Amino acid sequence: MNDIETKLRETVKRLLADHTVRYVIGWEATRFEDKTRPAFISDSADTDRLVWNKYCVSSLAKYALDEQHSEGKIGICVRGCDSRAVCRLIEDKQLLRENLYLIGLPCDDKEMNICDTCTHRNPVIYDELVGEPVLERQADRFAMVGLMEAMSADERYSFWESNYSKCIRCYACRNICPACNCRACYADQERVGWQGKQMNTAQNQIYGLTRTYHVGDRCIECGECERVCPMMIPVMLQTRKMLKDINEMFGDYECGLPDGRAPVLGEYTLGDADDFM
Amino acid sequence: MSVNIKEGWEPKILAFCCNWCTYTGADLAGLNRMKYPENVRVARVPCSSRVNPQFVIRAFQKGCDGVLVCGCHPGDCHYVTGNYFTRRRFMLMKKLLEYNGIDPNRFQARWISGSEAAKFRDTVTRVSEQIKELGPNVKFREGRWS
Ligand code: SF4
Ligand code: SF4
Repeated sequence: MNDIETKLRETVKRLLADHTVRYVIGWEATRFEDKTRPAFISDSADTDRLVWNKYCVSSLAKYALDEQHSEGKIGICVRGCDSRAVCRLIEDKQLLRENLYLIGLPCDDKEMNICDTCTHRNPVIYDELVGEPVLERQADRFAMVGLMEAMSADERYSFWESNYSKCIRCYACRNICPACNCRACYADQERVGWQGKQMNTAQNQIYGLTRTYHVGDRCIECGECERVCPMMIPVMLQTRKMLKDINEMFGDYECGLPDGRAPVLGEYTLGDADDFM
Repeated sequence: MSVNIKEGWEPKILAFCCNWCTYTGADLAGLNRMKYPENVRVARVPCSSRVNPQFVIRAFQKGCDGVLVCGCHPGDCHYVTGNYFTRRRFMLMKKLLEYNGIDPNRFQARWISGSEAAKFRDTVTRVSEQIKELGPNVKFREGRWS
């Protein structure tokens, strides 16, 4: 057990004891040493179930959507990416800040590839920080996209075609994504027929492209879509392409920060470039 | 991804035209007996911003070889701001399509006003020539539509 874990348990115990929150979402151990799972702690006797280690990788923010219409606060443990996910959901008018109590956890020990390009290891919003802030690192978020762009059009097509041919359309990438927060998803509107139910590469590609476009200008780069994909499809390589273009066209752009900046596709300026036309 | 081009193959090009400008422009081209390629199918939409980017992907999936989105010039939109959103949307969409391997000429967007019949004719003629050169599109296409 580490210091932060002890402090986290004490904090949660206190919050539950004084009824600040109804329950707290965190992580708990599983029977696999290298896996944790989300935990929902409502009893202060249960706080010892909470853990904090390098295997705490699942995003927690989206569980808060279940409480959209409930009274009172819930607590969420937030790493940098979780806090940005919460910002995303608040900005998209899905959650109210006053219904959340955010327990910030600076995060510097995760071993996932995606975390190498993380630029916000410290929570961007929180009510209380457990542990000391860590140093932010510089990272080139778009290096992989650059490599893709260097390929020929046919090579890129084959790359995505072979990847999407594996997709089983479990929609895990949609379900986990904090930017995918519509109540009804186009992919489920069977009678409208946007998305065919056939399992073939063309339909999977349509799903992939549409998903990308729907979240592209609001993606917080948490990498959850890639982590949860059972078929190892590098789906964030698509949204990052859109973010790279947005950065190039509209200046530095990162989502899920409490800076009040609107998503670029929700607004326009009279002087937008139309050289592509 | 090799394709056998059948003899007499003609591309299928879908042109989304806004009701207030480009569609009227196309109408004017007809009134003036201007000749433009038959392989362009015009779909009338109330505004160019009605064109959901997904229409474009679906068009490729269902067998189009090229897609054109046309609307009023900036400042002329019947709904005041629609075409500004179109511009942003397709600026990003075009790049995403290219990133996914679609040739930039297969998807194009243009501003054509109601009086620009000649511009409409020239645009669709040019697009049709470009697509002919590229040959049939197989990318994103569902097998049964090939
Ligand atoms: S990285 Fe993936 S899961 Fe995270 S916000 Fe972006 S699209 Fe959604
Ligand atoms: S998580 Fe992976 S397999 Fe599942 S729908 Fe998304 S891309 Fe397809």
